[in-house]
Amino acid sequence: MKFSVSSSELLKQLQMASGAIGSNPVLPILEDFLFVIENKRLRIAATDLETSITTEIEVMADTDGSVAIPAKILLDTLKELPTQPITISVNEENFAIQITSAFGKYKLAGENGQDFPKIPDADGVDNIKVQSPTLTKAISKTLFATSNDELRPSMTGVYFQVDFNKLTFVATDAHKLVKYTFTDIESEVSTNFIVPKKALNLLKGILPAGGEVSLAFNNSNAFFTFGDVKLVCRLIDARYPDYNAVIPTDNPHTLTLGRTDFQNSLKRIAIYANKTTNQVILNINDGSLTVSAQDLDFSNEATEQMACTYEGEPLNIGFNAKFLIEMLGVLESDEIKMALSNPTRAGILFPTEKSDDEEIMMLVMPVMLSN
Amino acid sequence: MDAFYASVEQRDFPELRGKPIAVGGGGRRGVVAAASYEARKFGVRSAMPGYKARAACPELIFVKSRFEVYRKISTQIRAIFAEYTDLIEPLSLDEAFLDVTENKKGMTSATLIAEEIRKRIFEELQLTASAGVSFNKFLAKIASDINKPNGIKVITPDEAIPFLEKLPIEKFFGVGKVTAAKMHKRNIFTGADLKAYSEVELINLFGKSGRYYYKMVRAQDDRQVKTSRIRKSLGAERTFFEDINNKNAMLAELHKIAATVYERILKSESFGYTITLKFKSPDFKICTRSKTVQTLIDDEEIIRTLAKELLYESKNIPDAVRLLGITISNFPNDNAGAGEQLSFDF
Repeated sequence: MKFSVSSSELLKQLQMASGAIGSNPVLPILEDFLFVIENKRLRIAATDLETSITTEIEVMADTDGSVAIPAKILLDTLKELPTQPITISVNEENFAIQITSAFGKYKLAGENGQDFPKIPDADGVDNIKVQSPTLTKAISKTLFATSNDELRPSMTGVYFQVDFNKLTFVATDAHKLVKYTFTDIESEVSTNFIVPKKALNLLKGILPAGGEVSLAFNNSNAFFTFGDVKLVCRLIDARYPDYNAVIPTDNPHTLTLGRTDFQNSLKRIAIYANKTTNQVILNINDGSLTVSAQDLDFSNEATEQMACTYEGEPLNIGFNAKFLIEMLGVLESDEIKMALSNPTRAGILFPTEKSDDEEIMMLVMPVMLSN
Repeated sequence: MDAFYASVEQRDFPELRGKPIAVGGGGRRGVVAAASYEARKFGVRSAMPGYKARAACPELIFVKSRFEVYRKISTQIRAIFAEYTDLIEPLSLDEAFLDVTENKKGMTSATLIAEEIRKRIFEELQLTASAGVSFNKFLAKIASDINKPNGIKVITPDEAIPFLEKLPIEKFFGVGKVTAAKMHKRNIFTGADLKAYSEVELINLFGKSGRYYYKMVRAQDDRQVKTSRIRKSLGAERTFFEDINNKNAMLAELHKIAATVYERILKSESFGYTITLKFKSPDFKICTRSKTVQTLIDDEEIIRTLAKELLYESKNIPDAVRLLGITISNFPNDNAGAGEQLSFDF
């Protein structure tokens, strides 16, 4: 088996697929790319058994065949080559690989492509279609709120709720929660599943700026397809927490204020907050918000005051500044609203401007105040 | 606060009012943590073993301590203090120095502030407090004991020196039983007697404390009111003349140490959740074994039990020891829960 391809074109595809390769693979072959040539098309696959990425590129090839090639050594070689045609030939007896560039020859040991784990096929699936920018946006708005707690696997992913032409993403780490709904999709089903964080992170990095993404899914896997790229991931097999039950229905006090002003204030005040809790205290009165923090261990303290619109009882409430800063960063409107009830209940954060085709709502639990 | 723990018990349980009661000390080997004034008349004192207290006052009612409650009341008292000044130095749960030179209410009389605080404590908590007002910490502390219970004593700069000269030596803050006995031997019974000694003589007799006594009797105390004094651990240890090489003997020694530790705990009200045993083997290697429990270690019996468990159940304890120690740590902070990130109730 032997084929020729542009070094930079090949590198581009390999970099896309390489994200799926895990850092400590359980099998040595998982450190490889699978190369399969069929009808002058090279299919490249990488997997960590949970998430797989495959991509395709046209090559000049004499025969069909397959081989597993060590990923790191191949990527490193291609990165050091200026753009030029290269030839890769594979000894079909022992899978020895030889790369030929304009400068010389490079030999490395490959493995039998037949030994590479099989990547799941999209069979028995339902299908929805969503625009790539919409999907990218939805992932960016929710992924940050997912948990890293492996003991509660359901929260380490984003919950997809498909409701015909409406798709809702929910993410939470038990302290903060984001619910993002958008309608820009084509679907004929109503279902839900949890997509792991790693897959969405990879997806975010490789989704194109435009075009359509097909999202297919069955009981165990989700398949994202766009152009020649396909990302397959195993779904998280767990029950998502009943998040609706924790959304407060009666938060009578509403605070309205400029999003960036609030965020910038929090960024400054957070510098003075206790480094473990990141606690900032919002002291809200009619027409004025005082943001303050202190770190008793270092005698650090900061206070800022800003104008706001407030309807409700005067309130003192503590939050993790990092959470608020992240959440405000995800919102886009100039003004935001916070609906609060008391210092131990979740606050609701949402934009003042509503859009027809998307809706976002965030919750954040307070950090307890001292007496 | 006057007979703090005992007063709280009498407040919350009317049937105890007007009766001699002791908080703690009811167990076989416990000691009294606090005694009501009715009990004090019979000579019942805090840190007195329960059986002695019972002997002194056969009608004595023993009640179990409720430190969570005392702690909560202490927080309420400090909240009242905080309305007058931020310069608060707690000495214990029920005692604190307040610097009201500049105060939040702009009041010019420290005496009026003291009266107002006492009144508020009584109205809001139905407990009586005594106050001492003076121009330094040492005098204020001594003054607070003069008209106890439910009283106030003011010592003005003019009065200070004559007052101290007449004051019995054991009433001096910082002079304990042992020092007082030592002074009595040298015919020092009052401040005036103490004043007859030069600074060098006092330092020779009492070491570093000598300088302190010299200054105190002259009303020279420029120590500031310190707003935070955080104790992290409290303990006691003993070094033996001869190495101890069996566990029963070690346990007996640990019981003695436990008594000392408990006495110190009571004095400073530092109840913790963690107990640590320290062993020093004859080759001076130190090893520690610790255990953390769910409820506050506020009883001598608990210290003994935990020490026994640690001694018999821990691994790799040296066969022989030249030193044993017990330390209590992991004290709850008064702002328990503060800074805690709350979670959704999933």
